[in-house]
Amino acid sequence: MHATNLPAELHEQVEKLRKEHLLLDPRPREEMNRMVLEAMEDVNREYFIVMVLLGLVTLVALFGAWGYAMYKGLGVAGIRRPIYWGLFIVSFVFWIGISHAGTFVSAILRVFKAEFRRPFTRAAELMTTFGLAGAGLFPLIHLGRTWRFYWMVPYPNQRWLWPNFHSPLVWDFLAINTYLLGSTMYLFLPLIPDLAMARDKSTGWRKILYTILSLGWRGTEEEWRHLQKAIQIFAWAIIPVMFSVHTIVSWDFAVAMKLGWHSTIFGPYFVIGALLSGISAVGFILYMIRVSMKNMRYFIRAEHFDALGKLLLIISMSWAYFFFNEFILEWYGGEHTVKEILRLYTQGAVAPVWWTMVVCNIVVPWAVLWNKNWRRKPWVMALMGVIVNIGMFAERYVIVTGALSRNRIPFDWGWYEPSLVEISIAVGTFALFFFLYGLASRLIPLIPVWEVEEGHHAHELKRMGKGVVVSVAELE
Amino acid sequence: MTREGLTRRDVLKLAGVGGVAAAVLSGCGPLAKHVRRHPYHDMPEYALPGKSVYFATTCRECPAGCGLVVRTVEGRAIKIEGNPNHPVNRGATCARGQAALEGLYNPDRTRGPKQRGGREISWDQAVDAVAAALQETPPEGIAFLLGLAPDHLAELVYEITQALGAPPPLRFGGLAMMEARETLTQAAEAVFGQKALPTFDIARADLVISFGANFMETWLSPVAYAKAYGAMRQGHPGRRGVLVQVEPRMSMTASNADLWLPAKPGTEGLVALALGRLMAEVAGVEAPAPFADVDPAQVAEQAEVPLAKLEKVARYAVEKSESVVAIPGGVVLGYDNGADIARAVLALNALMGDLGKASRVFFTPPAGGQAPLPPASFQDVRSLVDRMKAGKVQVLFIHGVNPVYELPEALGFADALLKVPLVISFSSFDDETARYVTYHLPDHTFLESWGYQRVQVGADREVLSAFQPVVVPVFDTRATADVLLAAVQKVGGALAEAVPYKNEVEFIQKKVADFRGRNDGIYQASNPKLFWAFFLQHGGWWTKEATAEPVQGKVVKVGTDKARFSQGDLHLVVYPHPLLGDGSQANYPWLQETPDPMTTVMWNTWVEINPMTAAKLGLENDDVVRIVSPYGAIEAVVYLYPGIRPDTIAVPMGQGHTALGRWAKDRGANPVALLGAGTNAAGDAAFAGVRVRVYKTGRRHQLARKENVVGVYGDGRRIPVTKHEAEAATSKHQE
Amino acid sequence: MAGGNGHEHTKWVMVIDLDKCNGCNACVTACAMENNVAFTGEEENAYGRGMHWLRVIRYWEGEWPNVRVRYMPMMCQQCSNAPCEPVCPVFATLHSEAEELNIQVYNRCIGTRYCANNCPYIARTFNWFDYEWPEPLNFHLNPDVTVRRRGIMEKCTFCIQRINQGEEQAAAEGREVRDGEIQPACAQACPTEAIVFGNWQDPNSKVRQLAQSQRGFKYLHELGTEPKVIYLASEKHDF
Repeated sequence: MHATNLPAELHEQVEKLRKEHLLLDPRPREEMNRMVLEAMEDVNREYFIVMVLLGLVTLVALFGAWGYAMYKGLGVAGIRRPIYWGLFIVSFVFWIGISHAGTFVSAILRVFKAEFRRPFTRAAELMTTFGLAGAGLFPLIHLGRTWRFYWMVPYPNQRWLWPNFHSPLVWDFLAINTYLLGSTMYLFLPLIPDLAMARDKSTGWRKILYTILSLGWRGTEEEWRHLQKAIQIFAWAIIPVMFSVHTIVSWDFAVAMKLGWHSTIFGPYFVIGALLSGISAVGFILYMIRVSMKNMRYFIRAEHFDALGKLLLIISMSWAYFFFNEFILEWYGGEHTVKEILRLYTQGAVAPVWWTMVVCNIVVPWAVLWNKNWRRKPWVMALMGVIVNIGMFAERYVIVTGALSRNRIPFDWGWYEPSLVEISIAVGTFALFFFLYGLASRLIPLIPVWEVEEGHHAHELKRMGKGVVVSVAELE
Repeated sequence: MTREGLTRRDVLKLAGVGGVAAAVLSGCGPLAKHVRRHPYHDMPEYALPGKSVYFATTCRECPAGCGLVVRTVEGRAIKIEGNPNHPVNRGATCARGQAALEGLYNPDRTRGPKQRGGREISWDQAVDAVAAALQETPPEGIAFLLGLAPDHLAELVYEITQALGAPPPLRFGGLAMMEARETLTQAAEAVFGQKALPTFDIARADLVISFGANFMETWLSPVAYAKAYGAMRQGHPGRRGVLVQVEPRMSMTASNADLWLPAKPGTEGLVALALGRLMAEVAGVEAPAPFADVDPAQVAEQAEVPLAKLEKVARYAVEKSESVVAIPGGVVLGYDNGADIARAVLALNALMGDLGKASRVFFTPPAGGQAPLPPASFQDVRSLVDRMKAGKVQVLFIHGVNPVYELPEALGFADALLKVPLVISFSSFDDETARYVTYHLPDHTFLESWGYQRVQVGADREVLSAFQPVVVPVFDTRATADVLLAAVQKVGGALAEAVPYKNEVEFIQKKVADFRGRNDGIYQASNPKLFWAFFLQHGGWWTKEATAEPVQGKVVKVGTDKARFSQGDLHLVVYPHPLLGDGSQANYPWLQETPDPMTTVMWNTWVEINPMTAAKLGLENDDVVRIVSPYGAIEAVVYLYPGIRPDTIAVPMGQGHTALGRWAKDRGANPVALLGAGTNAAGDAAFAGVRVRVYKTGRRHQLARKENVVGVYGDGRRIPVTKHEAEAATSKHQE
Repeated sequence: MAGGNGHEHTKWVMVIDLDKCNGCNACVTACAMENNVAFTGEEENAYGRGMHWLRVIRYWEGEWPNVRVRYMPMMCQQCSNAPCEPVCPVFATLHSEAEELNIQVYNRCIGTRYCANNCPYIARTFNWFDYEWPEPLNFHLNPDVTVRRRGIMEKCTFCIQRINQGEEQAAAEGREVRDGEIQPACAQACPTEAIVFGNWQDPNSKVRQLAQSQRGFKYLHELGTEPKVIYLASEKHDF
C-alpha cells in the first residue's frame, strides 16, 4: 500500500508485483464497489438467452423427467436387479463432492489465513449451496415413492414411529440438512456488508431487496466485531460438518455388506475425492466468472489459478494415495468376488470408465500441474476442472454401479446402463446448478469487496536491502 | 339343497368321517347338480367372508391326472394345491398345475358360443347345430378328435359313436406325439405281456438308467415321477439311488443325473444292449440273444460314449444295486427305430431280473377294470387326415387338442380341415384350430367342469380321479358333454335310447356307481348320494391298498436297424417345454414368466447349440438363426447350451402361437413346423429323425433370462461360472 | 407365545435338500400364485426385472461331455441377523418378534432400495412399475396378500399369511401347531419334497431332524447373517 515511498529503482519490481497480486494492487473502495456492482447489474441479452435456456433445460430435463419417473414408476430409470442404485446416486455423490469446494476454500483457507482466497470465497461458497441443492434432490428423486420422503424426518406422528437411526440414509438426511443450513448461513454472514454496500448504491427493486437482506447493517465497529466473531465461529464449526457429510455419504457404501463397498478407507477416501472435484470445479467457475463478467479480470488473476493448481496437485496426490490403498488391500484380500470386481474394473466392461478415472484424476493433473506456466493459464485450469470432474464422476460411477453389478452369487450378476430419463435428470441438475449460479451472480455481489479491501490493508510492500518484500499484517 | 336329503352340516360331519387331512371338502354344492357359486354378491351360504372353502378336483393341464385341492374364497378360486391323499401326486403339483387358475381366469378365453366369422350364437342354436350334424351326417362321415383328457368325455363320445355307428373317437395331441405312447405300449406288451403303459418304480430303485425319458418334465406322469425321484435320492437312509441318463440333449431330468451319456442319436438301443451284455459279463452269466449280438467296444465307438463309463455303470448295476430300472422314453423313441429302442431298453429290465435283481416295473391297474380309451397313434391321425383330404369326413368335432398348432405341418391337418364341411371345436380358447371351424362352442375349463380321469400310469393302485367345478363358470361356456347329450336328446330315437343320460353329471354318476359296491376303496357309502358326496369330497375313488405288483419281463428279440435321418447338418431335438408343455398353456402369463429350468429363459423360443458348434458357425448368444429342415423353417434365438452334443440342436415346443391370446400370440416359434410326418414301426411319429441346417440371420434378439446376462452383454466373457464358484454356491462349506 | 404351542416362541426354518431338488421351478410358480407376484413380460425380464420372490439358481459345471448342472432354490433367507434391516431408513423392513421373520411392510416402504443392495442373497425385488392383472385374471389374487404398487420392495415372506392362519387355527382349537401343518406355497408344491418347513423350537420337527444331516449348510454363513434356510448339499455319484 505504501509502495509510493519506495525508491525509483524498485518501481519496476513493484509494478510487476502489483500486476501479479491483487492484494498488492489496491484500488479505492469506491471504484471496487462500482466494479462489482457493474458486473452484478450487467444483465445483457446473451445472459438473458443463456438463463432462459438453462431454465428451460432445468424445467424439462430435470423436473419434467422426474415427474415422469414419479408418474410411471422408477422403471423408467436404467437400474435393474441387482444394480438397484444407478446414475441418481452417482450424481448425488458427485454434487455432494462439488459442494465441498466452498467450505474448503472459504472456511479452511480462512482458518489457515491463506490470503489468496479473498476474492473468491463467495464464488466458492455459492458452489457449496447450489451443489447441495442439486445433491439434495437426488435422494428424493431416487425414491420409489418420492411423495413419502418425509417419513425419513423424525417428527411426532400418529404411527409413533421414528426413522431408523441405524440407517445411513437417515444419517445422510440429517447430515445433508445440517450442512445445507450451516453453509447457507456461512455464505450469508460475510455477505451482509456487501449487501449493505449494494443497498446504498442501488435503486428500485434491488434497493428493497438489499435493504431487507442486509438486516440494517450500518458498519459500526460493534457490528464488525460481531460479524468477525460469527464468521470465525462458523468457519471453525463448518469444517467438521463438511468432513462428516462426505464421510457419511461414504458410509452409505462402506457400512453395507456389499463387496467392493465394504471398505474402511471409504470415509477419508470420499472426503479427499470430494475436495478433488470441488477444488477443481472452483477453477472452472472462476474461469467462467473471469471471462463472462465485467471487471473480473482485476479481481481474479493468474495467481489465483496458480494457487488453486498447487492445491489441486496436492489433493490429487492424496487422492491417489487413498485410491492405491483401497485397491491394493482389496486385491491383496483375494476374495473371489472382489477379485472379479477388480477384474471388471481394470479389464472388464467397466474398464473404460475406470481408466478414464485414473487418467483424469491422476495422470492428467500430475502431468500438467507441476508446471507453473500451465497452472497460471486460466483456461488450462478451467479445463482441469472439467477433466478432474469427469474423472470424479467416473469414480462414483465405478463404485456405485460397478460394485453392484458383481455379488457373491454369479447367477445374479448384472450390468447397468443409464436410461435416457436418468441421463436427462443428471444433465438437468447441471442446468439447475448453472441456472442458480447465474441467477445469484446477478443478484448478489460475487466478490466480497470488504474482504478484498481488508486484504489490501493487510498487505504492504517493504524495502529490504535491494529488494522489495511483501509484509502481511494480522488483522483478525 | 336340503331337498336332496342331506344338509350342509351332514356333509361337514362326513368330511370329518372321511378323515381327509387337508380340509378337503366338497361343500354341499356338488350334491345338487345345479348349485351355483356366485362371486361376492349373493354368496352361497357356505361361503363366509374371509373363510376359505376347499374343493378336491383333478388337474387336466396334462393327462396324468394329479389330484388337486383348490382353495376358494367367496366364490373365487384362489390357489391350487396337490391333494395330499391322491395316489398319483401325493400332495405335490407341478408348475403347470399351479398356474391352472390363469387358464380359468384368462382374459383371452372364448366367452361364448360362436359361428365362423366370430358371430355370437345362442346355446340353443349351438345344440341345434350339433344335433343336425349328428342326425344328418352319414355315420362314417362323423369324426371326433379328442385330447388325452378327460376320460369321461371320451367314454361318452365313444358311446355316442357306437350308437351312431360312427368311427370311435381319436385321442391325440402334441404331448402324446412326443411321448410315443403307442411305441411304449407295444414294447411293454412284447416284454411284459401287458398292453399298457408301464410305470417304473424309481423310488425303490438303486440304479435308474433312463434312455431319453424326461420323466420329471412332461413325460407321462411327471409329478409322480418327481415324487419318486425325491424318494430315490434321499428316501431311504443309507441308500441313495443313482440316475444315469442316455440322450443327445441334456434334459432337465438328465441334468439331475449322476451320469449323462450323450450317445449319438439313434444308437441308444445299442447302448442299452451293450450295457446288458456288460452287466451279464460282470455277473458272470452268458448274455442272452439280443445282448450277446453286440460288441460293447464297437457300440461305444459307434455311440461316441466312453466304454469305461459303460463298464462302470454295468459294474455298479451288478455289484452295488439290488434293483435296476431302465426307462425308454422321450426323444429316444422318436427315431424311426424307436420301437426297437423301446424293446431293447425294456428287455434290459427283463435281463436285470434274470440277473437276480428285483423288478421295479409295474402296471397301474385300470380303475374299475376298465382301461381308458387308449390314445391314437400318429398313424391313426394320419389316416384321419387322409380321410379328411379325400372328403370322406363331413363333420369333425375337436375337443381338448389344438391340431393345427400341435401337429407337424407336413401332416397337412390345416389343409385337410378346409375339406371338411362342418368343423365344431369345443376349445376354451380361440386357438389356431378355432380359426378353421364352423362352430366354436367353448367348453368350461376343468376348474368349472365335472368329470373323471382313469389314471393310467404313475399310481400303484386303481385310481378314478374326479373333477368337480370349484367356481361358477366365468363365461358363457357349456360343458361339451352337456352339449352333446342335449343334441342327442334333440335327435331322439334310437340314439337317445342308446345314450340315455339327461346330462353330464348323470352320466358320470352312472359310470361311477359300480365303485360303490367295492369294499377295497378308501370309503364305503350306504347309498348313491353319499357315495357321490364322498367321491367329490375325496377327489375321486381309489383303493386303500396298493395293488400293483412288480412284473417280470422276458428278453425279446430286438431289431438292429439303424435310425434314418433326413438331410441336414445337425440333428434336431424337439421336446415339450418343461413349463408350457405342448403349448396349450402358452397363454398363462406365469408359466411364461417361470424360468425354464435349464436355460432360465422366459417368454420366448430358444435354440440350444453347443458352444463349440456355435463357434464353428460364428454364432453368439442371442443371435437369431433360421433353422431349415426338409419340411419347414423357423427362426429362433441362440442359447449356447453346454449340455448338448455338438452335432445336435434342440428347440422346445410350446411357443410360436399365431392365436390363443395376448401372451401367447406372435411369441417365439413352433418347432413342430420342422418335423416330418414319418412314423416308426409302432405307428408313432418319428419326430426325432430330422436333421436341419442353421443359418445366421444377422439379427439379434435379447432372450429374457433369469440367469445373468454378463456372458451375453456388457462383458466379453462366457457365462462366468467356474467350478469353484459353483461349488462354493451349492456345496457344504467346511468350517 | 404364538399359536399357543407351548414354546417360548416359534422359529420357522426351511430345509432344502439339494439332492432331491430337480430344478423344476414348480416352487417359483407356486410362490407367484400364492403371493400375488406380478408378471412383467419378456422385455422387462430380459432387462433383469423379473419379480420372482424365489428363483432356482442353475450353474453349469464342467466341459463337454462331462457337463453337470447344480440347482439351488434361492429366496429370502429370513436372516436372524439380517443385513437388510438396519439400512432401511423408515423401518419398512424389520424383524418380527413373534415369528422371528424379516417382515417387509409394504405401506411403510418408500423405495430407497438400500435393503436390496445390502442383501447378499439378492433376494429382494422392486416394483419398477404398477403391474396389472387384466380382468378377470385378478380374480385369483389371494385376498390374504397385499397387491403391491410401484416404488416399493418386496420379497419372500415364508408365506407369513399361512403361518398366521395356521397358528390362529391351532390357538382356536386349543392345541399346538402340528409339524407339517403349516407349509409355504413352495414347500407344498415341491414335487420332490425337497423343501421342508417347520418350527425349530419343536425338537421333534422334521426340519430339526433333517438339519442334523452331515450334508447341512447355511449359504454364505461366513457373513454371520444367520439364515433360517438350511441347505443339504447334493452328493452326485461319480462314474
